[in-house]
Amino acid sequence: MDLAGKAYKAFLERQEALEKQYSTKNAEKQHSKGKLTAHERITLLFDPGTFEEIDAFVTPASQPVEFGKVERTFGDGVIVGHGKINGRLVFAYAQDFTIMGGSLGLVHSKKITKIQEMALKMGAPIIGMMDSGGARIQEGVASLSGYASIFQNIIQSSGIIPQISVILGPAAGGAVYSPALTDFVFMVNSTSYMFVTGPNVVKEVLNEEVSSDGLGGAEVHARKSGVAHMIYDDEENTILALKKFLSYLPSNNVENPPIVETNSNENDIIEKLRDIVPDDPNKAYDVKDVINLVVDKNSFFETSELFAPNLITGFARLKGKTIGIVANQPKVLAGVLDINSSTKGARFIRFCDAFNIPILTFEDVPGFLPGVDQEHAGIIRHGAKLLFAYSEATVPKITIILRKAYGGAFIVMNSKFLGGDFSFAWPTAEIAVMGPDGAVAILYKREISESKNPAELKKELVKKYRDKIANPFIADESGYIDEVIDPALTRKKILSALEALNNKWVKVPARKHGNMPL
Amino acid sequence: MPNEKPQIKKLYALSSENRKFSFSLPLKHTIKVGKRNYDVQIKSDEKYGTYILWKNRRYPLEIVKSSQNKYEILFNDISYTFNVETPFSLQRMKVLSKHKGKQEKELVKAPMPGKIIDVLVREGSQVLKGEPVVILEAMKMQNEIQSTVNGLVTSISARPNTNVMKDDILVEIKVE
Repeated sequence: MDLAGKAYKAFLERQEALEKQYSTKNAEKQHSKGKLTAHERITLLFDPGTFEEIDAFVTPASQPVEFGKVERTFGDGVIVGHGKINGRLVFAYAQDFTIMGGSLGLVHSKKITKIQEMALKMGAPIIGMMDSGGARIQEGVASLSGYASIFQNIIQSSGIIPQISVILGPAAGGAVYSPALTDFVFMVNSTSYMFVTGPNVVKEVLNEEVSSDGLGGAEVHARKSGVAHMIYDDEENTILALKKFLSYLPSNNVENPPIVETNSNENDIIEKLRDIVPDDPNKAYDVKDVINLVVDKNSFFETSELFAPNLITGFARLKGKTIGIVANQPKVLAGVLDINSSTKGARFIRFCDAFNIPILTFEDVPGFLPGVDQEHAGIIRHGAKLLFAYSEATVPKITIILRKAYGGAFIVMNSKFLGGDFSFAWPTAEIAVMGPDGAVAILYKREISESKNPAELKKELVKKYRDKIANPFIADESGYIDEVIDPALTRKKILSALEALNNKWVKVPARKHGNMPL
Repeated sequence: MPNEKPQIKKLYALSSENRKFSFSLPLKHTIKVGKRNYDVQIKSDEKYGTYILWKNRRYPLEIVKSSQNKYEILFNDISYTFNVETPFSLQRMKVLSKHKGKQEKELVKAPMPGKIIDVLVREGSQVLKGEPVVILEAMKMQNEIQSTVNGLVTSISARPNTNVMKDDILVEIKVE
């Protein structure tokens, strides 16, 4: 094709200039830090040849800058557009650290809000890839209100389209609230940071010496604060994991999650499940073994793996259909519910509920974590979130009680009368107000203290309690659970329960919104 | 904007013992024994699960755990853990390890108050990441406290049948 006209000449020159900007000049700087350029990230994320950039040629706001300098480059430090990921429409923006430090000016923010509004209108997920020095000081309040309008859009789209943030560089100050408001946050070890105030200010104000990594690195946010849901060692793997993650999610709140073709001759009777829970109630086991055996092979994608590992959350597939999994982990802190695990579970459940993903709960919980620490930090308030989230969710909810189901924790973990649709128990289940030792100590306090052989009497009473009360059969016989099942049949029972729940519809009372105990 | 996919021609597998194996793409099903390459087949069926077929013998293979590029596999009943890296991510690892000061020791602490039931290592024991070092009973449950690093046990403060508070140091490990 020969584009010889004058108009085409200008068109081609511009094109060439943009390509030059995306090419190697700035790339090396990013590479030497172990980072990719915004352009490379977009290329990795989308199916080849599907990404369409929008507003590539816009330049920074042209109001006079009285202080500092604004580079006149194409795009104002952010690439926005849409494309296909695994064949499905997704919108994205990627901040470009090589242009004015990826700082957010007015035009930069307008590009982001434009793409956010398009994503909402089309009902497609949006991904934000952050690598920015923060607000553009030169542009002052225009830059700040830019942030505000981005936040406003995230909040308006919340629960309608999945919104995912990928932190691939610094995110400091107000900028951190953009990822914090989205559904899931991905981070990269060693090159991404998030903090409200950076190490320099911390040093100045509190005289505390701390590195960026120690203050707000990926590891910190994945383990301690719970801000980051998924972390990986490098950007390529982060982006690949994100693509896999997206395959579990529907594009919006009216669609159902995509169904993946699976090996249909997978065996639904799994005898190995009978041997996982140890006979000794004081011995732990890995609940992930149960999950991996029940769901489609290699389909479990864990979220917030390092944060509050005493409660496991994640997505998996059953006969190709996405399911959200919540499971107490007896291997960590005996699987107790504490503040962090309650908030982790509650947020995950609310995401599943918003996006039509059924919730499968594996329960083995000795109770809430006792102690001054937890009580003073508000376990009542935070535990109530989990309770609220479970009860409020209208998606299909199935519980399998594997072993312990004691007290308040039993109620909270999706019990039948809290709105759980199906409640199954393994024969190893112990359902009661409290464990045998505690119960015996309260009910037979005097008898034990007056006995000639207290230890012997106590042992006898504990055994009696276990036989008579702490088992699944009483609950089964009085209808508080639906069925005591052979562990080997767990997958089969869940599949038929899900089929029965396929058209579940719940009439929710009209109201502006409930008042979740935040 | 240009949309060509970056071409990756090589992948590396880094084992937990820091051994590096390289593979060229597209992957071929060959194994190297001594200096010669042999063609093998990977098969799976209901009776034997997944296995490698070589010279009419079956060698069982199972992916125990996988999370993005981290794998734990069971081959011939021996477990291997490794990371799959691309040339760029490998390069990045090298760059970053130069920047980062090396962590020298790791303190294994009690995650919650409880009673020490058993100490599974001795001073001078070699431990791997994820290996249980102490059994702590709390909430009437025996919890395995695991090492988070590969290394050498330098000192042990945990004594069986004693009570510990949250964050008490149980074992000190020199990172290797």
